[in-house]
Amino acid sequence: MNDLLVMGLEAAVLVAGLAVLLLDLWTPPAEKRNLGYAAAIAVGAILLASFAIVLPRPLAAFGGMFVLDEFALFFDRFFLLAALLVLVISVEFADRFETGVAEFYALILFALAGMMFAASANDFTLLFVSLELITVTFYVLTSFQRRQTQSLEAGVKYLILGALSSAFLVYGIALIYGTAGTMSFTRLAEAAPAVLDSRLLQTGLLLVLVGLGFKIAVVPFQIWAPDVYQGAPTPATAFLAVGSKAAGFVLLLRVLFTAVPALGPRWSRLLIVLSAVTILYGVLCAIPQRNLKRLMGYSSIANAGFLLLGVATLSRDGVSAVLYYLGGYLFTVLGAFAVICVALRHTEGEDIPALAGLHQRSPLLAATLAMAMVSLAGVPPLAGFFGKFLLLKSALMVAGDQPALYVLVAVAVVGVVISLYYYFGVIRAMYWPAEPVEQGHLPPIQLSRPLRWSLLLCIAGMLWLGVLPGMVVNLANLAAQTLLP
Amino acid sequence: MNVGLEHYLVVSALLFALGLLGVIVRRNLLVIYMSLELMLNAANLALVAFSRFNHNLDGQVMVFFIITVAAAEVAVGLALIVALYRKRETAHVEDLTTMKF
Repeated sequence: MNDLLVMGLEAAVLVAGLAVLLLDLWTPPAEKRNLGYAAAIAVGAILLASFAIVLPRPLAAFGGMFVLDEFALFFDRFFLLAALLVLVISVEFADRFETGVAEFYALILFALAGMMFAASANDFTLLFVSLELITVTFYVLTSFQRRQTQSLEAGVKYLILGALSSAFLVYGIALIYGTAGTMSFTRLAEAAPAVLDSRLLQTGLLLVLVGLGFKIAVVPFQIWAPDVYQGAPTPATAFLAVGSKAAGFVLLLRVLFTAVPALGPRWSRLLIVLSAVTILYGVLCAIPQRNLKRLMGYSSIANAGFLLLGVATLSRDGVSAVLYYLGGYLFTVLGAFAVICVALRHTEGEDIPALAGLHQRSPLLAATLAMAMVSLAGVPPLAGFFGKFLLLKSALMVAGDQPALYVLVAVAVVGVVISLYYYFGVIRAMYWPAEPVEQGHLPPIQLSRPLRWSLLLCIAGMLWLGVLPGMVVNLANLAAQTLLP
Repeated sequence: MNVGLEHYLVVSALLFALGLLGVIVRRNLLVIYMSLELMLNAANLALVAFSRFNHNLDGQVMVFFIITVAAAEVAVGLALIVALYRKRETAHVEDLTTMKF
């Protein structure tokens, strides 16, 4: 019983998901889309409840398989907040689904539960199951508009590459289990130093890295990202960009720092190279894009590279910077996707020129998207700037021991400069379009009240993390401390 | 002949490689999907063998989870492939070209 209490937040999310499915049976068709607000309220309540949890020491459940520490709690809150905003975006999107609106909400909640389990995973079994809960749910979310070829194609591509990466992951876990004789991260950490030189163990860990690299879209496992981002329904893309990527990073951090801490120094070169290649690939491929969601896909690859930079420092400051960056990334990306969902609904596809004159149709939408782009580009005073600053600072602090980090920092700075071009291209398309649009073609966009509040929340979040970073930095430090005491 | 851990591992590695080869070489989505299942079963074989020779049951528990998850994945995957076939009348990967630069 005590074990179930420890995973109370996850259990509450699962119950909420099942409740949405049940309520669907008694809800008249016209009201079904409002179930999303009910789900969002439930998630908001769970988020508030999470702040009532006080952890004098980490709690473990199910024989140490599941842990609840500050690190897990930080990510639980992160995922809950992301899901809350995604649910509000989903309600705006709901009229574009022919059937199964309630199922879409329920699937978001189930994916959320998977992410929260991933945040607490302390065992390869739970790592695998939670990762698959996220991935299989996203196969469905991605292809939810099943009458549209693009959505189906995105789903099939995600399916094949996702299944391939889980096959690698599982085989890697088998090899690790074979050499260390345990699935538990804690016991692996005790057994690892003795067997770290074993080829079998290193191959196993490398295969696990492949599986996680797919989730966070690191080069060379990024192939799926642009297509899936473009084809999937916008709320699914938004959740994929924030939740799924963060879940991959949680597990990567746990494996690197809890399960095999001795491995870090051996892998630091590998992580640095992956990070540099990912940043360059993301920013260079984003330049010629015309489709806004595809652009966000490449942008998410570049951001995975920046986040990996923090991991590659292998220091507590680096981990703390990763957590902070993810926090800013949440508000920025969800704000951008909320605008994409509403502003581009009447256009064919989501091409950037269709944004022309958005500031006349809805100043709030235009302002949110502009701020999101500025934040992604890393221009002060928004969240993206401070996040990148912390990442680069943490890298420079340990660069004395690992000179390759100097090169990586230089690459990251070049990446930021290149990215200015395409992020500001989006802003220019809104405010100063190449072909001026006639007044008659600019019907104002009506925003629902929940969406308006969500947009304001995103703007507030971007400003708050950029101007007054103290509180979130403290939270991130606290979480990083449990991982790297 | 005495069958040892190495024998199981070699068979498992061969199965994994065969599956990977199938994913890379074949062009039909269903065959690719079958190859993916082969890769998962290769991992299952390795886990069961390790579990037997490590004298603990964690590996076999993991196999149960993998089988269950694979069943869920197949259910979703086949539904997706059928939906795509209805829409496009094709199950070949070369035809998945709606989204490009």
